[in-house]
Amino acid sequence: MAGSRLEKIGTIYSRASGLIQSKALNWEDRPLWYDIYAAFPPKEEPRFDRPTPNIQLKQIFYQEDKIRAIFHRNNKKIGAVHLNSKAPSLTQRFIETYTSVNQQYKDGEASEEQLYKEAIDILNRQRGVITVLPAEIEDAEEVSLSGAFKEAQKKQEEQSISIKDIFKD
Amino acid sequence: MLNIRNFTILTEKICQNIRLLSAAVPQPSSTSNNPLASTEVSQTVKEDVLKHPDYFNVHNLFTVKDLFEARVHYGHREGSLDNKMLPYIYGSRLGYTIFDLDKTAEYLRHALNIAAHVAYRGGIILFFMRSPQNAHLVERYAKECGEFAHTRFWRGGIFTNAEKQFKAVTRLPDLCIFLNTLNTILTQHTAVRDSAKMGIATIGIVDSNCNPNLITYPVPGNDDTPIAIELYCKLFKEAILRGKAKRKEHLEL
Repeated sequence: MAGSRLEKIGTIYSRASGLIQSKALNWEDRPLWYDIYAAFPPKEEPRFDRPTPNIQLKQIFYQEDKIRAIFHRNNKKIGAVHLNSKAPSLTQRFIETYTSVNQQYKDGEASEEQLYKEAIDILNRQRGVITVLPAEIEDAEEVSLSGAFKEAQKKQEEQSISIKDIFKD
Repeated sequence: MLNIRNFTILTEKICQNIRLLSAAVPQPSSTSNNPLASTEVSQTVKEDVLKHPDYFNVHNLFTVKDLFEARVHYGHREGSLDNKMLPYIYGSRLGYTIFDLDKTAEYLRHALNIAAHVAYRGGIILFFMRSPQNAHLVERYAKECGEFAHTRFWRGGIFTNAEKQFKAVTRLPDLCIFLNTLNTILTQHTAVRDSAKMGIATIGIVDSNCNPNLITYPVPGNDDTPIAIELYCKLFKEAILRGKAKRKEHLEL
């Protein structure tokens, strides 16, 4: 059977149509998908050289991302999240309480810090634990690369291991 | 020059007559007490089936929520994005691309319709999958709907050099369904190119790091998660079975 193997030119449909038109291929011998393609053409032509569309990739952000950022900035160790459980995660609960607290105040009446403290207090009371999450933003543990390095250095100094001691015996 | 042209037209007519004759010859013998009296649905019925926008009712096979629960919307990191996939992508969430499931549903319904039509016309359908994690799953589903699967290393020339490789005249598939279009080293599966070369229609699940251009009916979506793959397999199996059931009905078998 006649065929065209130049997959970079046109589409499979245009190549088959060309062969039929030039009588290299009989109408009876057309591919099985030919009529289906004609009835339901693809939304975009399946051409090898279809140009890349000029579309900007949009960033997805939500209103509550700001609240989420505040929470995660101040609480680095909040444990693992079970993805299959239906119960809301700690972060989701925080966002809920933060927004409900925020609704109690008029616009701009309470500062971000104040709202955060109140929301954390409510959360801690709900959990029945006194201070699991630090209420003070200043108290919050700062995790950064330089901080971790300094900490490790301090530990090493405290231990004061010398190589000589190791190989003494 | 004119004479030559006339001659070619004449030979063509003769050839056509011969074709008609050869096509007509087996008919009387096949009508006489043969259980396989009609092996093909008549052309008029076929055309009627094609006129219907959704003859096999494939639109009710799934909802967008099913897609969401099967994690079809998860794409790869922004860095591995193929810009040709941009029209199908909703956006990037903290560095990960997210598919627009409304578009995915539209393309998937279109692809399911095509698969059902090909099955209805008695076409051979071949499933592809090159991730070892999901290979057996795809093979099982292909078996269940009476079709074929190729989930192993692709020897070059299985399509393009079939007659030499199989030492016989080979019928190639009429539709290739790629459940992922990449091979194990993250380049495009050679069969995508080879199907385009051999003039075989293709349906392909294209993730955010794939090139949809050569796929006839691309379906944007996650092609790694086993749950998502299982959903695609179930949907294509159901569509193919619906096509085959209608074929049986129309052939009165």
